[in-house]
Amino acid sequence: MARLSRWGKAAEDAVLVILLGAMIVLAVAQIIMRNGFGSGLIWADETLRLMVLWLALAGSVAAARADKHLAINVLARALPPRGQSISRFITNGFTSVICGMLAWHAWRFLQQSIEFEDTLVGGLPAWWFQVVLPVGFALMCWRYFVFALEDIVAGIRGTRRWPVSPGDHTP
Amino acid sequence: MILLGFILLLLALLGAPLFAIIAGSAFYSYYQEDIDLAALAIEFFSLAEMPVLLAIPLFTFAGYLLSESEAPSRLVRLTQALLGWMPGGLAIVSLAACAFFTAFTGASGVTIIALGAILYPALKQAGYPEKFNLGLVTSAGSLGLLFAPSLPLILYGIVAREPIDDLFLAGILPGMVMLVMLAGWSLWVSRGSKQELVPFSGKRVVAALKESAWELPLPIVVLGGIYSGYFAVSEAAAVTALYALIVEVGILREIKLAALPGIMRESMLLVGGILIILGVSLASTNIMIDAGVPQQLLEWVSGLVDSKTSFLLLLLVFLLILGAILDIFSALVLVVPLLLPVAAQYGIDPLHLGIVILAAKQLGYLTPPVGLNLFIASYRFERSITEVYSATFPFLIILLASVVVITFWPQLSLVFLSR
Repeated sequence: MARLSRWGKAAEDAVLVILLGAMIVLAVAQIIMRNGFGSGLIWADETLRLMVLWLALAGSVAAARADKHLAINVLARALPPRGQSISRFITNGFTSVICGMLAWHAWRFLQQSIEFEDTLVGGLPAWWFQVVLPVGFALMCWRYFVFALEDIVAGIRGTRRWPVSPGDHTP
Repeated sequence: MILLGFILLLLALLGAPLFAIIAGSAFYSYYQEDIDLAALAIEFFSLAEMPVLLAIPLFTFAGYLLSESEAPSRLVRLTQALLGWMPGGLAIVSLAACAFFTAFTGASGVTIIALGAILYPALKQAGYPEKFNLGLVTSAGSLGLLFAPSLPLILYGIVAREPIDDLFLAGILPGMVMLVMLAGWSLWVSRGSKQELVPFSGKRVVAALKESAWELPLPIVVLGGIYSGYFAVSEAAAVTALYALIVEVGILREIKLAALPGIMRESMLLVGGILIILGVSLASTNIMIDAGVPQQLLEWVSGLVDSKTSFLLLLLVFLLILGAILDIFSALVLVVPLLLPVAAQYGIDPLHLGIVILAAKQLGYLTPPVGLNLFIASYRFERSITEVYSATFPFLIILLASVVVITFWPQLSLVFLSR
């Protein structure tokens, strides 16, 4: 389990680093080509926009792991340890369900896209790029499901899961 | 409907991620309107149809990179060499350096951590009163919000579909008003205290300039590039990110290559958090606009106020309350699409509206109970949260006054624009 989690984090890091690095290189290359040679890569702008979408999902998955999604935590903070566990169990369970619904409907969207043979970036199958939606949301669904399970354990043991650290309601 | 709204509100207050709350309400409205729920995924996918969005990850990364390097202390030494000779100089140095730094890091609390750690002990050493220092560093932590290329300014431009370079221009004078009013207050408070002044020395200025020689071109490249039409905002962000990467990692070697993935990851947590909220609210906003929510809002508001002035007053009160509850990014994405049409009815320029919203939201960083800066300062400087509250209070009042000025003097925001 611990190894799985380490591998998962390494994979997330790799995706984030590659996407961000490629984005910087491609965007700068595009400026140089346009201003220096009066031309540009035709597929670059669209690819960059799709990379932003990928980065949004990859960053969200990573933010879910770190439990750093934007949220309002004032009320829950004031609760006693067991109350915090219960409230966190409810909110994490809810988030897991919502992510599951997002993943499911993104999957249906993907199927339609495959069926209609949608294309992007000059003829490539659109679902190659859209697949990030169901995968990303499914990973987040899993993450919040694990959180909810941890909350049950914490609730039984009566341990406090929230360290009093600043700014954990905003990344 | 009301019951569901109540449940979602309760879940939000219990700390459920805001993106899940928004997605939940969007799912429900789609279901009510008999729209295929897969439409939510389609709306989310339209994140990939907004070219300016590229600026968000790139500027955020550049900001994180700069804050991890020695750039903050170089910035302080430079401003110190330029302004340290005058009475109250160090206080003004702190404000100016924080504002400049926040503009680049996007006001996510990084400023207090990166600059506060240098300025807080320096102010103490220079003989400023303890409580004043705490308040100053805490409130300066979000001061540069209105200066280009701050992340909230860009996000407002994206949500409101206003040109981002115009917004950058609109922010200059209002940002200066905040800075000058806080500087004036600082001078007034520290007038009696014994300070060690450093005489002005040309040699030191030259040394500090030399030391910062690599970072100094950045603002010129970014803003010069945008306004000369040489590149778009998203391209300026790419140049900034690449430049910061080459300088801090390649030339100055202050950031080890091995530390880079960690910094990239940290910065993308914030980006992921903002973009997923933007993505799900694309869906929820559309359905709210289709359902005529802005019209209902307008009818309700016009029953309360009839003039532009009274509307602005109501808006300000609303924003201050909102600022105490919701972070700036979520607030922008959620509230702006609904406020824009209403404000337009009262003849308020969308650029001015943006500046007012951002200025008022800046106070939200300092207002109890959830002000982010208060918590970060309390943690960083090991002071109780109540101590930080009371130290920050006078600064909060000054900032509130500056927000009132900015709100009721639209020319401040619009003077550089041909509107």
